[in-house]
Amino acid sequence: MNARYGMVIDLDRCTGCGSCMVACAAENNVPPVPQASPRTGTTPMLVRKVSNGMEGVAQREVFIPIMCMHCEHETPCVSVCPQQAVEVDKATGIVMQMPQRCLGCRYCMTACPYHARYFNWWDPAWPAGMEKSLNPGVAVRMRGVVEKCNMCHARLHSAMAKAAVAGKWEIDPADYVPACVEACPTAAIRFGNLADQNDPVSHEAHSPDAFRLLARLDTEPKVYYKSKEAWVKALAESKSGPGSEVKHG
Amino acid sequence: MKLTRRDLLWGAAGTAGLLVTPVPWKLLDDVSIWSQNWGWIPQPARGPVEVKQSFCTLCPQGCGMRVRMASGWPVGVAGVASHPFSRGALCPLGFGAHQLNWHPRRLRTVRHGASSSSWEAARAAFAKACSEGPVAIVDGYPGRAASSVFQTFVQEKKGSYRTVSSPETLALAPYESWSGVPAAGMGYDLENAQTIVSFGAPLLDGWATPGRFTRLWAERAAGSADPQLRLIQVEASFSRTAARAWQWVPVHAGSEAALAAGVARVLLEEHLVPARGPMPPMTLAEAAGQTGLSTGAIADLARTMVARLPAVAIANDDNPAIAALNVVLGAAGARGGIVRKSKHAESYASAADIGSARAVLIDSTVPWDFTPPTNAEVFRFAAWDGGSSTADWLLPAPGFLEELTDVPTAPASAIATYAVAPSLLKASPEVQSAAQFLSGIDPALITVEKVIHARCADLFRGRVGTLQGQEATPVAKFASVQKLEEQLWRGAVWVDESPRSPAFRCELKEWPATAGPAQAVSSSENWSNAWRAPVLPPLASKLYLESSLREVPDRRNV
Repeated sequence: MNARYGMVIDLDRCTGCGSCMVACAAENNVPPVPQASPRTGTTPMLVRKVSNGMEGVAQREVFIPIMCMHCEHETPCVSVCPQQAVEVDKATGIVMQMPQRCLGCRYCMTACPYHARYFNWWDPAWPAGMEKSLNPGVAVRMRGVVEKCNMCHARLHSAMAKAAVAGKWEIDPADYVPACVEACPTAAIRFGNLADQNDPVSHEAHSPDAFRLLARLDTEPKVYYKSKEAWVKALAESKSGPGSEVKHG
Repeated sequence: MKLTRRDLLWGAAGTAGLLVTPVPWKLLDDVSIWSQNWGWIPQPARGPVEVKQSFCTLCPQGCGMRVRMASGWPVGVAGVASHPFSRGALCPLGFGAHQLNWHPRRLRTVRHGASSSSWEAARAAFAKACSEGPVAIVDGYPGRAASSVFQTFVQEKKGSYRTVSSPETLALAPYESWSGVPAAGMGYDLENAQTIVSFGAPLLDGWATPGRFTRLWAERAAGSADPQLRLIQVEASFSRTAARAWQWVPVHAGSEAALAAGVARVLLEEHLVPARGPMPPMTLAEAAGQTGLSTGAIADLARTMVARLPAVAIANDDNPAIAALNVVLGAAGARGGIVRKSKHAESYASAADIGSARAVLIDSTVPWDFTPPTNAEVFRFAAWDGGSSTADWLLPAPGFLEELTDVPTAPASAIATYAVAPSLLKASPEVQSAAQFLSGIDPALITVEKVIHARCADLFRGRVGTLQGQEATPVAKFASVQKLEEQLWRGAVWVDESPRSPAFRCELKEWPATAGPAQAVSSSENWSNAWRAPVLPPLASKLYLESSLREVPDRRNV
């Protein structure tokens, strides 16, 4: 396998419903933490609301799903990790986080320009009996380690196992769809192999409306965004970053 | 022993030598792994994984749901792309619904007042009430097999059957009074509309079947400068739907009826539509004064509405002025507007007017904050305790996926459908559904299973429509009712495709009284308010606590 998995998120289609956030958390056994806040919660897929700063009928808002951008070049989290707990998978391009190796130093969180990494401040806990509802394909992470989006790697493993059983080397693309992509009611989030010229997502990533957040850092994120609105595209290079409730006039 | 300079050098060299070996790093790694595998950390259950098709029954929309089960427990849900309306979408709460059965506020014991009681005592109390006077049963999802059980019971006991309507059905109530067609027999033909004007309805935030309009909007309206489908949102606040609409029309809160009257006046005065209804008594200037818009803006809105027909106005609640605007537009009983979907729909009496009753039984499908306007003894079924209940009896009901039920046509849908949601989880012995409870009082009462079987037999005999599952199969091609029922139990949806006329005639003799802003306040509901369970899935914490996406709703246990 020599893929470069990535996403194209059409911001003109995102309604900010949050289905992707809940589906991601359910798929990846992220515990519900009643005491969490926007600063301390673990939300590998986080939808932020951004306004154009205008009032009245000129007001515009857009919802930006933020997750690990799976940077291809000089991946900031990889270069700072003292434990080699982060690596870019050569076969898929997915930036992998190995919680078993993580010491919880949080250098990677500081290094990540997208604030897409989360520290587990509490022991993973569910109300009594609810552990029966955990996804058996994903291990629960311990308190004190960092985690992030891994493009639902467990689903990739399942797809690879299915292909292996069928005697194939390559997976069927239909078998590997991350939870957020599957959950999006408007098909705003699309997933595919950016290295495959025939993949529609690869085409979309090179459309004139496509852009990447903080492209000037030259980390080559594999998550692309799309919008026809100029003020939305301007967010990509915003000095304040795509933070929540940020207003851009 | 004296420490020499040579000892220090040896020590330093030894330490440096150790660091270049894998030993300390391996130890560090092992300690890290060891410290992440404490015995108290929950581990996912191992076991065979299978996927079952069902339907979400937490609101009347009945979205198609694929449930991944591991060792017999639900571990994940996803939408069903082949479902005719939800089309693979679920609301965000639906994605975490499989964890609801273990919510800390799950009801497991019968409560009488503040103390625990038993099913026998509850049954005896309800049987006594039935013998002493009329009883009323309140249903939140009318049209189900359980609803038939309730109706049969109250018929035998000389009681009354009442319903609590969804906002979408309430918004259709004015057409029922003008046409005689039951509101439950009407729906919105959004798929054929070119212009949709929403008066505060959260069309992109969970209105009706969450996937239906969002998919339609994404395909025909999103992002395009001149879309095929124009969504115009009339609303006081810049809601999520307003943010994504083709045009947002900000009006004063509660002035939607005045705007509808103003638009209708322009349509009739400028002969933009044939004279289908009476002229509103409100002048354009009065409408402008109430809404905060200019007269020109109201006129522009009217012209925009007829620029691309069919156009339809959608109200968020029972608002006769907006319904009257649809009559003027020609959207009532027409393609791309409000259509008649079924000839067999019933009219239901509202639970807001129960009258005198000795006891009231409230089904678990009724929203938690419903309080019957009566002094009768209240028997309330619920799977979760929403807190501050005024019910005399609180009776634990089956939770998510624990009860066999059928899924009749969704409110607001333009086509009649039918599906069966089998019980995927075995309910614990301490919970009972309202239908099971009534069977304990009247053992001769028909059961939910028998009603579902009878309905499947009716579908088979009717020979109309198609079963949409993995593939579409016309009902006429089924060799036996058992085969048809088997497909329905596996998650197929029956879709009525019989030729029918969507038209109905509205007799609107005079413009409905337009309430002033002080009397009518529009509120933008979304799926968190329409959600019928009194608690939210624990993972809703992602939406409410860990992001700034939504404000924590009132009365909800996140």
